[in-house]
Amino acid sequence: MLILITGGSGSGKSAFAESVVTGLGGRKRLYIATMYPFDEECRQRIARHREMRKDKGFDTLERYTDLAGADVSGYETVLLECMSNLTANELYQPGGAGDRCVEAVLEGVRSVYAQCRHLVIVTNEIFSDGMDYDPETRRYQRYLGEINRRIAGLSDAAAEVVYSVPLMLKGDLKGALGE
Amino acid sequence: MILVTGGCFQGKTDYARRTFGILKEQEADGAVCPMEVIYEAKLLFHFHEYVRRMMEAGTELSAEELKRRNPGLVLVTNELGYGVVPVDRFDRAYREKTGRVCCELAACADEVHRVVCGIGTVIKHG
Repeated sequence: MLILITGGSGSGKSAFAESVVTGLGGRKRLYIATMYPFDEECRQRIARHREMRKDKGFDTLERYTDLAGADVSGYETVLLECMSNLTANELYQPGGAGDRCVEAVLEGVRSVYAQCRHLVIVTNEIFSDGMDYDPETRRYQRYLGEINRRIAGLSDAAAEVVYSVPLMLKGDLKGALGE
Repeated sequence: MILVTGGCFQGKTDYARRTFGILKEQEADGAVCPMEVIYEAKLLFHFHEYVRRMMEAGTELSAEELKRRNPGLVLVTNELGYGVVPVDRFDRAYREKTGRVCCELAACADEVHRVVCGIGTVIKHG
């Protein structure tokens, strides 16, 4: 299954995505981490996520750009977190895809999914606070919005997490959640 | 205990008053009320402002304790965290903290309602 999990910052979407992955069963689990450790705050966030998943049987692959080049063969279930970071990395990091980031990310998604049985992707709702941002930030929002829409289009199931409560947007996760 | 969330200006507090039959004198404004009032009020709105004040005062809130001491409470909060990561460090920590506290509250709440355009949807049923 290809599953997209979205939600706001601090909504509990990561914990939910992890519960989906463990519910899917499968022993070989890979976590693709996309947050680049720019500073102490990033390192703290990364440490918090490592702590959350430490007993859930994940190997970790750090991949900041070029998802299409990632070798995930041998893994049954892959959890990719987070699409908002991967997109920003592709857009802004030296060696990233720049304006080709939408295609690069989607090519990466297809490539990873072709190598595993289940791919769960966590993304982020950054579109609804009503603020007017500068053109550069608008560009980033536009790219991430398109990526989210296209992955949702490809996915078997999509959910939005609201303060730990999952709302199904597409398909269902009954199998994964033991319902 | 019930959690009502949604974006700003969506009519969350009116929805909560209407849905749960709350009188004016039973409600408190989380932006200005004494901190202890959360254990007595029937409805507390601007809960996200209450969280901000907790952070400024360096205090914590236990969802379990709140439910035990005020089981009939209706909490109304803005749903934060739906925008681009804020530039300001406190703002980042604040929306993160509000999210974590609301996840805990939602987990132990009897019901969670989400209000969009004045219309509430029960997203967690008791």
